[in-house]
Amino acid sequence: MTIEQIVNATELTVKVAGRLDTTTAPELETFLKQSIEGVEKLILDFSELEYLSSAGLRILLTTQKAMNKQGEMIIKNINETINEIFEVTGFIDILTVE
Amino acid sequence: MITIRHLKKEYANATPLKDVNVEIHKGDVISVIGPSGTGKSTLIRCINLLETPTSGEIFVDGECITDKKCNINKVRQKMGMVFQSFNLFNHMNVIENIMAAPMDLLKKSKQEAYDYGIELLRTVGLADKAFNYPDQLSGGQKQRVAIVRALAMEPEIILLDEPTSALDPTMVGEVQAVIRDLARKGLTLMIVTHEMRFAREIANRVFYMDEGGVYEDGTPEEIFDNPKKEKTIRFIKHLKVFEHLITSKDFDFIGFNTDLEEFGRRNQVAPKTIYRAQSVFEELAVQCVLPKLDKDFKLNVAFEYSQEEETLFMTLKYDGDTFDVRNTPNVISFAIAENASESIEYAEIDEDGFKNLVTVKIK
Repeated sequence: MTIEQIVNATELTVKVAGRLDTTTAPELETFLKQSIEGVEKLILDFSELEYLSSAGLRILLTTQKAMNKQGEMIIKNINETINEIFEVTGFIDILTVE
Repeated sequence: MITIRHLKKEYANATPLKDVNVEIHKGDVISVIGPSGTGKSTLIRCINLLETPTSGEIFVDGECITDKKCNINKVRQKMGMVFQSFNLFNHMNVIENIMAAPMDLLKKSKQEAYDYGIELLRTVGLADKAFNYPDQLSGGQKQRVAIVRALAMEPEIILLDEPTSALDPTMVGEVQAVIRDLARKGLTLMIVTHEMRFAREIANRVFYMDEGGVYEDGTPEEIFDNPKKEKTIRFIKHLKVFEHLITSKDFDFIGFNTDLEEFGRRNQVAPKTIYRAQSVFEELAVQCVLPKLDKDFKLNVAFEYSQEEETLFMTLKYDGDTFDVRNTPNVISFAIAENASESIEYAEIDEDGFKNLVTVKIK
């Protein structure tokens, strides 16, 4: 998994590529905890995210909860498989997916 | 007719036979099948003592042939042996090859041995080759002569060790036809073979060998159409298997996934199927089962792919308390796994210390 970020004032875009699973989820969790302070709009770009497991979903959920208090979180460019995971787990209703 | 008890054959660096226990009845035609190195040839070579068993007993017509006092030559007269590589005497012509043993050991007259030899050669269509030398014959003809040579001793059983595997494919049929004929005549036969169709059609019993013994013994229908045991199923259905035993919660997850992808590539499994397999493994095994297991645990994961049916199954076997993964409180993981599966089944088992079995058919 690779993580890239673009900061634009209070808007943070994080591009996650590769696999977000049991082994890599803690890395994204640490990164997001450290990066979202003062951020009002968090955009997660998943255009190159190939694999997502429940371990990754939990990070999205905790980050969503944190962002609810300080702004918004938007997930962009998900592929069909990841959309399916959002749907079967009901996350599609919790997250803002564009 | 032949009873084998606790037969073991050990070499310096391998033990092909650990504990063989079988009964061979008069008139049985037994096909011995199984993967390479599972002791098929060793078993029939032990039966006529071409190999000396490390331990165990073999009884032929009630006589213990593994007993040191037993007259081996006398026992061997009851058993004909046909080898993969024919083993004819090249300096003797066909009929001499056939006559030698009956004259030496059965004390038959030259005329008797000759007459019977010609009669037998006629049954395999080779009477006109009686005075040819082995190197003037094709492979199929040599093997038919080797079968006649075994028959000339009027044995009670014929042991055939891969009788067609050294032959050109065009000659396999003629040798199989001769063996089929022997079976029809009611001779007791034991044939090690890799030709599954032949093994099935000729036999009334099939021994599937694995794990150092006769792993499953049944009729051809039982073994080929409805095998009961795991390794027989894998062998019969040509299943490609990727198996891994996990004994630590810090196991190499990345390495596991890389190996699973490689397994998929090697066996032409659709990438999407492997993706789902990884997902099911992570959600069920890593997220649902692993947290439930004690410090000292074992979790066996096996993926079995059938190229014929293009189906991939994952089985998880684990020890510890009874835990039906379908009742996991981790509903998110289970929902993802369920979405990637056609079915998820659970059974309580008691097998090699494993208590739980989950079988998943991957979508």
